[in-house]
Amino acid sequence: MTATDLVALYPFLYASDGELDVLLDAAVRSTVAKTAEITELRAELARRQGARLELCARQLAERFAAGGRLLVFGNGGSSTDAQELATLFLHPDGEHPALPAFALSNDIAVMTALSNDVGFDVAFSRQIAAFGRSADIAVGISTSGNSANLLLAFEEAARRGLMTVGIAGYDGGRMAQLAELEHLFVVPSASVHRVQEAQTTLYHALWELTVAAFAGRHPVPEPFDPRGSD
Amino acid sequence: MTLDAETAPPAVSAIFEQRTAPLLALADQARDLAAAAHAVAARFRSGGKLIVFGNGGASTDAQHIAVEFVHPVIVGKRALPAVSLTSDIATVTGIAERHGLAEVFAHQLNLLADPGDIALGISPDGDCANVLRGLIHARGHGLLTLALLGGDGGAVAARGAAEHVLLARSSDPRVIKEVHVTAYHILWELVHLFLEHPGALNPGRVTR
Repeated sequence: MTATDLVALYPFLYASDGELDVLLDAAVRSTVAKTAEITELRAELARRQGARLELCARQLAERFAAGGRLLVFGNGGSSTDAQELATLFLHPDGEHPALPAFALSNDIAVMTALSNDVGFDVAFSRQIAAFGRSADIAVGISTSGNSANLLLAFEEAARRGLMTVGIAGYDGGRMAQLAELEHLFVVPSASVHRVQEAQTTLYHALWELTVAAFAGRHPVPEPFDPRGSD
Repeated sequence: MTLDAETAPPAVSAIFEQRTAPLLALADQARDLAAAAHAVAARFRSGGKLIVFGNGGASTDAQHIAVEFVHPVIVGKRALPAVSLTSDIATVTGIAERHGLAEVFAHQLNLLADPGDIALGISPDGDCANVLRGLIHARGHGLLTLALLGGDGGAVAARGAAEHVLLARSSDPRVIKEVHVTAYHILWELVHLFLEHPGALNPGRVTR
């Protein structure tokens, strides 16, 4: 954010020398505006990409039913989204079926080894090459859509027959130019924070629709019993 | 079926619309959020660091918050010290194995925290025993304590374990997480707002 943006967001501060009450009032107004902004963005996302989200979820359910697993990856804040999505499939709450998924940034030994020995650009694609099976699903999350290691991972995944799903922000960046991507969800906002917030809803919805589609096809498996006889 | 339709399918609309009311409830807590950000900024200004912790999905939020402060996405914002307590999986599993999962955060806080630091615990139902233990330990040692909770706030809210509490009013853990993400993004932004106006952080300035 530039100083000009700050003046635009908090005009009173610069007119009145930053008194605490003025700051607090500005903070309250800013919070109310941001909650309205993300609510509108979510509604727009549902309108624009809701149909694709349903289709994608059905295809994910088919992949899981065929023995596929979900491999998910992202950098920085998006790596935490990748972990959230993986744990949501792998260890969901309540009655939802648990499905195989893992995030490719979990193993710091693998991440630093690949980055140090080859380069950060291959941190995910080399793991896709090592783990990926043709029935699997590759999900990459990026705010900019420009991360080189995601683009290489999608190319590797497509070569191996994995289903490819991209989640991006802004205008989709370089992910929008990638012919290999089967599904691309773009959150149309210029704010990296609002993009991440809407992306979180998007992949939560994708999970919810996927497990619903999966459960519709298959009876929910017995919960895993860690004290099982074998 | 067209993928370019301008109306969402009912199942998608239903999921997305569940987010609206809890977001409005966050807006109702804007004053609390501003007060929390002011207190956090004052601690950072005095040299404190932020320590964040949670379980399951909330552990990913803890890591997200840490990277948000350490490596700001907005160019020109200063890096601030923040760590999450689930990043060291050797220590987490080691403590859990020997002393139980309830001790994983309190044990690390005991050794890694200074009294001038900030502890932020995240618990979608407010009942995570280790988050409760961590916050109680932190508060007892002089840290500024914050909690991001959901539902009715559970034991963390009932026991007053944190000075600043923000509540995501939903029973769906995914909706709660999304409200938390917006809350900590705004918290981050407001912390920088206060840090950029040091007059507002002078001793004696307290938020109501």
